[in-house]
Order: sequence, then structure tokens, then C-alpha cells
Amino acid sequence: MTDQAIVLSLLLGAGFGALLQRSRFCFFCMTRDYLEGRDARGLLGILTALAVGLIGYHAIFGLFLPDPGIGRLPPDAHIGPVSWVLAIAALTFGVGMTLSGSCISAHLYRLGEGAIASVIALIGVLIGFGLGFASWNSLYLAAIQQAPVVWLPQTLGYSGSLGLQLLLLGAVAVILMRGHQPAARQPNASMSFREQIFKHRWPAHVGGLAIGMLAVLAYLRVAPLGVTAELGSIARTLGDEAAILPERLQGLDGFSGCATAIKETLLSPNGAFILALIVASFISALISGDFRLQPVTGKKALGHFAGGILMGWGAMTALGCTVGTLLSGIMAGAASGWLFAAFCLLGLWGSFRLKNRLGL
Amino acid sequence: MNKKPSFKAFLTALSLGLSLGVAQAANTDALVTTDWLEANLDRDDLRVIEVSVNPGKYERGHIPGAVNFRWHTDLVDTVSRDIASKEQFQSLLRSAGINEDTEVVLYGDTNNWFAAWGAWVFDIYGVDDVRLLDGGRDKWEAEGKPLAIRPQQYSPGNITVSDADHSIRAFLDEVVEVARSENPATDIVDIRSAAEYEGRIIAPEGVNELSVRAGHIPGAVNVSWGNAVNEDGTFKSPEELRALYAEAGIDGDNPVITYCRIGERSSHTWFALSRILGYEVKNYDGSWTEYGNSVGVPVTNLAGTVWGGQ
Repeated sequence: MTDQAIVLSLLLGAGFGALLQRSRFCFFCMTRDYLEGRDARGLLGILTALAVGLIGYHAIFGLFLPDPGIGRLPPDAHIGPVSWVLAIAALTFGVGMTLSGSCISAHLYRLGEGAIASVIALIGVLIGFGLGFASWNSLYLAAIQQAPVVWLPQTLGYSGSLGLQLLLLGAVAVILMRGHQPAARQPNASMSFREQIFKHRWPAHVGGLAIGMLAVLAYLRVAPLGVTAELGSIARTLGDEAAILPERLQGLDGFSGCATAIKETLLSPNGAFILALIVASFISALISGDFRLQPVTGKKALGHFAGGILMGWGAMTALGCTVGTLLSGIMAGAASGWLFAAFCLLGLWGSFRLKNRLGL
Repeated sequence: MNKKPSFKAFLTALSLGLSLGVAQAANTDALVTTDWLEANLDRDDLRVIEVSVNPGKYERGHIPGAVNFRWHTDLVDTVSRDIASKEQFQSLLRSAGINEDTEVVLYGDTNNWFAAWGAWVFDIYGVDDVRLLDGGRDKWEAEGKPLAIRPQQYSPGNITVSDADHSIRAFLDEVVEVARSENPATDIVDIRSAAEYEGRIIAPEGVNELSVRAGHIPGAVNVSWGNAVNEDGTFKSPEELRALYAEAGIDGDNPVITYCRIGERSSHTWFALSRILGYEVKNYDGSWTEYGNSVGVPVTNLAGTVWGGQ
């Protein structure tokens, strides 16, 4: 069973990496496109992924837990505690995205495209995770322990939860489409089919459709999509060996999310997922010609590093990042997913404006 | 506690053996084989129940028609440390569509640990027609037998369970009495790893200690649960099991108490000794997390590990 989980994780990770690379599925870039140039296509791609995932997750939930109202939660779904800690974590994560120019999943696929600086960001993420572990116990006692774990189907039923959330996504889509200003015509009209697939980036909504379906398959067969469990696991193991982290992280194992256990095996399912993600992105970038070793400047390195630390801290205390908590959380009908999305966007938007104002 | 094979089970085994034309020797009143279960899945008077340690196992595929019992909420009292109350257990069985004449087959992941623990709880409440799937979930999967993901709803059953029978459950007082006795008339089997038994470690890797003393109950012999199974997770033959425990001095002449850390792996050994060999066995579900925390009880700590010391 474990072997099967590893093989499936490799396949799913490869699929995810290729999709991220092909459709430039970068939460930060997609948001920046809208903030800077009112180009809403990227964000609409994220909404597409969420809508497809929501439908698929609810179909699976009906099997896993026929009656959502009995007080149980569906196994493994990323439904986290809702508290001010989550809001601050998401806000911090958003600021980290601006500083480092990508979220964690995008750094992973960018690494495959030859962005060496992403390594610096990922090192920052590991340190951030360490800080997250160090602060976890006090945050847990201050707020997380008594925070409600809100799963929308529990109160609304499956139809109500699905209907309400699709409506919400639809409403956001309408707002985005109203604000959308078509970018200059893409020079792909005369492209051959082969070029459209292998050379040119895919439209974000195509990537979104596929990622939504991949997320559903991943949840059905292994676990919800997430990219930080392995990073957190490495950080926790390093910190544990150096004896600089608390020996016991209160209540952490009781939550579903990007759980981070001390490493016992070299290749965990999430580790396999991450490795395959990077390799698939690399191959995809080679084929499309997107692969380019990008030089690291001092300013860039600093931004990546600092942003990485903030994202690591945010992802640890929020029990996941834009993939594990935002995507996999909203798809699961978790209030924690929506809260993360709102505050992450707020952090990104605020820090982005500040950065522009300061001319950085 | 030797259970006599019911006539019905005998007939079933006989007719199946005849109809399949194969030897179904491993099919006893304690165990069913994967092949037998597959051939009997569509029987209305048979209920298959999964008791797995890991959440999400059942949901992602279970033996077709099986019902899911969650050990950490369904089979225990979640507030007080105890097994489920009679009322709680009875309504659980009824909701799984279990009637007075329903045969039950239990199975689970990780070598049937919690399935065996479930079998012990069934036994405490006098539900007799209960067997384990030999080799558990792992063997079923390894053989590529079908799994289903659609949950099955059954109309409520009518079973009435008996009051708890404590003749198969040991409590602390009794265990301490045996531990203090000069010539104990009861054998104790510690089924944990040798390292835990000898007191070199307090709890296995990945588990919080939960006990403040290392070692074992004085007089207990150490036969790890894993010795009782073959490579494919099935129980060894009764002859092999008899020899295995006899070597450690457990021959069934004396009543036996089994224990581990929290009482679930010891159910596996309880099952082997009680249901397969027919010995008189009590499972001590308080186990080391109760005993190793009790004040003033005798402990044998071979390694001399001191809790809390540096």
C-alpha cells in the first residue's frame, strides 16, 4: 500500500509539475497580472481549479461520509482550525509571496525552469518552518486549541455547501471579468497545435481545469494536494537533530493539513510528489524552451530569502500554503481555506502596493 | 474460553469445501481465509466489519459490503478510559445491521491489531459468532481481491448484547496480585518488543512515552506478537503457536494474562491463545500505560533506565 502511495505520488507530482509549468500556475504572478495590468485570466484559472475541485471533492465526500452532519470530518481533508493565528499566518504568507516573487509551489516549478534563486527562497522556507515550530506551542495554547474547525457541509449539507461555494466563486469571477482589460493580442493565432501544446504556455483556465481534476484524483487515491509537508518534515527533522525545537508540538498531529512528522523514511509520499514535480517541470521547460539558468543578484537573493522565511512561518502555522490550505481547503469546503485565501490576498495586495510606492 | 464450532459454521465450511473442491483447512471457528470470505461475501447473514488503525483506509477502498468501525470513537468511551458501554456497543452493532443470527468477520490494517481488539470487545459483550479474516487487509490487498468505495447501508439489526463479561478482561488489582505472588498461578505474557520489555526504552519509536517507568510486570514472559504470524500476516498453525508459547512457559495449564502498551496488540496474542488454542486468557487493556504509571506496584526493569534522568 505504501509502495502504491509512493508510485501514485510520483505520477501525481509529475502531472502537477507539468501543469504548473505549462500554464504558469503561479499564485503570485496571476494576482500581480491583475493588480498591475487588470489581466484577470490567471486568477480566473485559479477559480476554475477551485470550482472543479469543489465538485469532485463533494462527490467523493458523499462516498466517504454519506451523512456530513454526524459530527465527523472526512478523512485527511485539509479542514483546519479557524482563528486569528490563521489570519495572521495567511497575511504573512501573502507578504512573503510579494517579497520572494512566488509562492512555494511556484518556487518548486521555477526551480525546474532553472531559477537558481528559488533554492534560496526554499532555504528561507525551511528556516521559516523552524520558526513556525518554535512558535507553535504558544500559538496553539493561545488560540488554535480552542479554535473551531469549520466544515461547511456539516451545517449546510453537501448540496448547500457546494451551491454556496460555487456561487461565491461565480461572484468573484464576475467581479474579475468586469475588471478585466484584455491584454494585447497573443501572437499564437497562427501557431500549430504542437506549438500550442509544447511551446506556448497554456491558458490558465485550461491549467485550472486539469489541476482541479488532478486535485480530486489525488484526494481520492492518496491525500489532498500539498507541497509543504515534506519541506516541514525536513525542517522538523533538522531542528530535532540540532535539538533547537520543542520536543513536543502540542496538538499538531491532531489536525488534517500538511502534517509534518519527523522523517522516518527517506522517500515519503509527499517527498516523492515534490521530487516528481520539480523533475516534470524541468522536462517540460526543456521541451518548451522555457529552461534558462537565471542569474542571482544580491537584491533578488535577499528578497527570496526573506520572503521564504515569511512563507515558511505562514505555511507552518496555517498548516499549509496556497496549495495545501487554499486550494485543498476550499475544495474541501473548509472555512479555513477561504479565510486563508482572503488574508493571503490582503497581505499580497498591501505589500505589493507598498513595494511599488517605495519603488523597490 | 474454547469456543465450540457452531453446527452452522461447520456446515458452511463443509459445503464450501465441497463446492470449491479445495481444502479449506485454515477455516476454523476463529479464522476465515480470504478465499472463503470472497466466496461468501453476498450472504445476507454475514457481516464484514473493518477495524483499521489508520483513518482513511476504509474510505479509499474496503472489502465490498464491509462496515467501518472506528476504534478510537466507536469502540471506546471517549471520555473515561474504557471500552464502549453496553448500550453504545449494541446500538453500533444494530446500526451495522447485525441480527442475532448474523455471522461477523472482522478485519483491519496493521496485522489485524485493532480487528483482534474488536474481536475481544465483541467477546466481552457475549457476541460469539465472530471470526477474524486471517492475514487481514494486507493479505486481501496483496492477493488483488476486489475493494469497493461505496459505503453500504443496512437496515437496523435486532441483536441484543449481554452484560460485559470480565472473565476475559484483567484489571490492575488482579495483575498486581499476580505480580506480587510468590508462586503465581497465572502466567503473564508481555507482547511488546524486547527493548520495551527489558526496559531499554519506555515506548516504541514515534509514540509518546505515556509511562513514567520502564520495564515489565514481574514474572511476565516476553513473546512479541509478531512471532505468532507468518510472513503474509496469517496466524501460524495451532501446533506452531502451541510450541511457540510452550517454549516461553505458557502451556495453557495456568490462566494467562496478555498485555502490551495500550492493550490492542496484546489482543492479537489474546486471540491466538484464547480463540485459536483455547487457553483461558484475559487481556489486560490497561497495559503498560496503566501499570507503568501506577504508584507502588512492583516492576522488573532489567536495563535500569531512569525516567526523566539525563
